Amino acid sequence: MKQEVPFSSKRFLLTLTLCACAVILLQNHDLSRALSFPLALGAVAAGLIVCFLLFLPAVWLKKRWDSDVLTLVQSRGRAAQGMVAVIYSAYFLYVAAYFLLPYTDMFCKKYYTETNPCPVAFLLLACCVYAASKGANVITRFGIFLFVLAMVTNFMMFGGSLSSLDMHNGSLGWQGNPADFGNHVIYFVTPCFIAALFACLSGDATRFRVHQIVTALGLTGVKYALVLFFLTFAAGEYAARQAYETFVLSRVAHFGDYAGVESLYMALATMSVFMIISLLLCGVTKAWHCGGNLWVLALLTGLVFALQLWAVSNDAIRELFTRPLLLIALTLITAAVIPLLVGWGERRRHA
Amino acid sequence: MRRMICLLLALLPAILTGCQSARRIETASVIENVSVQRRGGALCYTFYLLSDSEKPDSVTVCAPSFEQARTLAERSYIPHMTLAKLELLLIEEEVRQDVMKGDIDYIATQASFSPQAHIALCDEKTLLRLQREAAAQSLIERQIDLLREEHPQVKSDCLSVFNSYARGESFEVPLITCDRELRVSLVRNAP
Repeated sequence: MKQEVPFSSKRFLLTLTLCACAVILLQNHDLSRALSFPLALGAVAAGLIVCFLLFLPAVWLKKRWDSDVLTLVQSRGRAAQGMVAVIYSAYFLYVAAYFLLPYTDMFCKKYYTETNPCPVAFLLLACCVYAASKGANVITRFGIFLFVLAMVTNFMMFGGSLSSLDMHNGSLGWQGNPADFGNHVIYFVTPCFIAALFACLSGDATRFRVHQIVTALGLTGVKYALVLFFLTFAAGEYAARQAYETFVLSRVAHFGDYAGVESLYMALATMSVFMIISLLLCGVTKAWHCGGNLWVLALLTGLVFALQLWAVSNDAIRELFTRPLLLIALTLITAAVIPLLVGWGERRRHA
Repeated sequence: MRRMICLLLALLPAILTGCQSARRIETASVIENVSVQRRGGALCYTFYLLSDSEKPDSVTVCAPSFEQARTLAERSYIPHMTLAKLELLLIEEEVRQDVMKGDIDYIATQASFSPQAHIALCDEKTLLRLQREAAAQSLIERQIDLLREEHPQVKSDCLSVFNSYARGESFEVPLITCDRELRVSLVRNAP
């Protein structure tokens, strides 16, 4: 088994921020109509607070034992180790398919309408296998490059949409009903999957501080707020007429004779999904203690690909991969319940 | 073995470029501009193709809406038509009430259309000039841009016109008229 190289915690949290921001890049959730802008911001804040709470058990493990749940469970016997590995593998494969599905869907709907989503998914997964074989350290280094690309894309997307701003498109009041607010909060809790990634991979991160998580979630909140602002006041009802509303923002961007930054947007979405799946694969290989083994990775990716094929051909299965509530429930188990159980077990052992 | 896999993966992008069904740019049917007017009682949509000739290449299709005109044009006249580069939709003033709202609504649902495409009303002479002169389109677009600089409240693109309709408010749109020269003015559009 290849030994994981330690990496900077700052870099790791930056990578997780980019993963969390990908949620809104890939969304096809109705964001612009249901709630007024201030209430939508409230929903973002509430969602990210829940995300922060889900980080706390893993933070406890990291602070107390400078380790993560997968490393700590190794001392609890083979049965416990195997059970935890199965749970985390199933969860990570589910999350990988959860993000791969909207990505291929968006790619085929917005970019190449006659393309079959399967070759797109296959090529992306092949790249993920290679990245995961190199380990989380290399992926977090890639996060720095992706951060620069994200800054450029966001600057162009929002800067170019400034000329289309019309404050009449949205409302600054407090209109909206509790059901819509609840739906929005559930949607904005979706980035909590990064808490599960943190719970599994943080053992190798060095110089960890709690404020890094706050900064990561804060940056995610700023990104969400900006997307909501421009969706509401620049794209308005026009965005609501199309699937993948946020993608419309990249088409609304306009600089003189130059209009649209769809290619940059698509590149950012592609790289974000690539990074999410690669990190998830790293998590699975860590759970089975076979980091870097290409054959194991290929097998796991084959499972993700099979899930993707199944979801494309079966609407009932597809539904499973588009429900944020299910993702949140599974994240609650993997990011909070299991780390808490492992932590208590460890405390009793040392008592 | 690993080198072989890497080599194969490196070769894949060269094979899967997505160009199998691509057309050369000179044979592609890129629509730059669409106009709609009434001819002999029927609504007619004219699709102007991107070309470098002095007289524009165009295809006219009679249909009750943009959506049906597009389908008919694709099926009967321009099989590889693309509207992703549509820059201008010109609507003859007298058919405004019949088509404008419905056509903009249809455009807003289409992922391939640019939300920044110009929308303007015009008179019959402008449409005649557009059919004779390829440069007329860029002149019209320049006039619209100038008008927008002078009157920022004018709704001159798909995005702002659609959102104004969605809010149910009256708004001002550019009106292009042609006597000897092309002129642009404002006209109020009721919801």
